[in-house]
Amino acid sequence: MRIFNKNLFALEFRRAFKGMLVWSISLGLTMYLIVILYPYVKDMYAAIPPELSGILDSFGGLPENVTEYFATECAMMLQIFGSIYVVLEGFNAINRDEKEKTLEAIYVLPYRRDVILFTKFVRITLNILLFSIANILFSLAGFWTVGEFAENGRFFLFALLNTLMFLMIGYLGLAMVCLMKPNQKNMISMLIPIPLYIVSVISTLTNNEWLQKLKYITPFTFANPVEILKTDFAFEWENLVGFTLVTICLLVAAFLRFRKREFIV
Amino acid sequence: MSVITINNLKKYYGSSRGLEKADFGVELGEIFGFIGPNGAGKTTLIRLLLGLIRPTSGSATIRGLEVKTNFARLNNEIGYLPGETFFFPELKGGEVIRFFQEMYKTDSLRADELVDILKLDITKKVQEYSFGNRKKLGIIIAMMHRPKILILDEPTSGLDPLMQQIFLNLLLEEKREGVTIFLSSHVLSEIEKVCDRIALIKDGVVGSVFSMQEFHRENRKKIILRPALEQIDLESLVLVKTENGNGHYDYQGDINQLIGYLAKRQFTDIRIRDASLEEIFIDYYKEGN
Repeated sequence: MRIFNKNLFALEFRRAFKGMLVWSISLGLTMYLIVILYPYVKDMYAAIPPELSGILDSFGGLPENVTEYFATECAMMLQIFGSIYVVLEGFNAINRDEKEKTLEAIYVLPYRRDVILFTKFVRITLNILLFSIANILFSLAGFWTVGEFAENGRFFLFALLNTLMFLMIGYLGLAMVCLMKPNQKNMISMLIPIPLYIVSVISTLTNNEWLQKLKYITPFTFANPVEILKTDFAFEWENLVGFTLVTICLLVAAFLRFRKREFIV
Repeated sequence: MSVITINNLKKYYGSSRGLEKADFGVELGEIFGFIGPNGAGKTTLIRLLLGLIRPTSGSATIRGLEVKTNFARLNNEIGYLPGETFFFPELKGGEVIRFFQEMYKTDSLRADELVDILKLDITKKVQEYSFGNRKKLGIIIAMMHRPKILILDEPTSGLDPLMQQIFLNLLLEEKREGVTIFLSSHVLSEIEKVCDRIALIKDGVVGSVFSMQEFHRENRKKIILRPALEQIDLESLVLVKTENGNGHYDYQGDINQLIGYLAKRQFTDIRIRDASLEEIFIDYYKEGN
């Protein structure tokens, strides 16, 4: 029983390619430019007064090398903008058909709904992987340019976990659009990454024990760049496993719901 | 043998009515016309037949299979043309055709033939197409895999008169090949030309279903008499209006009786013609039958 359609995949990939390229290059170039500024800002860090340095400690403290600089200055930006891109990729996989009214062309084809949805799921996965790889390569190019990349395996671990987090957020976007009524505005998908990011920041900054526990409900915890690249790294297994389970459950619910989805133009 | 069977089909979107009641069948190899004003429920019924939406109650079967659970399998045998055709705007017409060829696993012979017949420039991007050209592309995609059933929603809207004629000839050709065609339209004169049977839908309820033969047997006439009759004493002769000294009448019954009645009176002008489907349709809605 076939669950994947290569023709639909090729069409979907082609249609999403330009958007992926624009996001990858623009965010990747930003990463590159920030990294190559490191030699210039290193001196600025040395001149920062102790009281300001104390505040910066809450965000992981002052960076001592280019990898730590990447964690505090680049990676957070990558996570915020990247999660916006991936959630839109997931949400628009279905929403775009409704907005462009092409659903009367696609969903009257002789294929089961789960074949169409799974094909879209694979396409989203590939797009997110390529987007993530592009950003890693741009960042590595930055390290190579400044010639100070002291890799101890942490950067690639961060890249891996960050990619995993992007995939989860993209899948949540897909699940969201499948579980909602048709013809929603795609900006509604921002309700996934933005609150999750804010929750992650609150749980990191607070001393309140209860608020600190909020870190378990956001995937930004297991891919926290400052934790992984700068401070003593304690891997958040519970968070990763918990969020993986949440994502899988929502995807299963989305597939089940999508079979009975009403396509109203 | 009914290819499409619709049993007490009903569809509500929340509390708003899409389709109140439909109960009829479409026979193998016939062209079945479905007529109704905007918002009557035509498109809802078509979407129910394609499995795009699910019925609130009742059932629709195509070739004996329940649509609700078998639409993916059935869609291989169906060619569908939506009322407004939307394809992937950044692709060229030819690329869209190739995509659907691959999806339907069909060759390019019929598609090439249809491109020639409909005179569509497939080197242009879909976003550069006019409404009419998008419609042509939709027709090609609906017909190119040689489906056994064609479901067409307002198929001639957007086509110029010459192209409408070409399209109607295409439908008749498909019918000769044994294809069952279910179409909705406002252009009643065209329905009259190609359909074997028609159904009228109003406020979500599919009312009369009758064959074109029955329609012609109804023998409804439109009559203009100058001067207008002072008094009508013939059963079935009904005054519609008087205008500039002319009397406009509807008549349904024995034509000899009518001629005999008129022959006894003096007129300066008499015009008698068959009522068109359009006029019967308008009467149907006026009467609220």
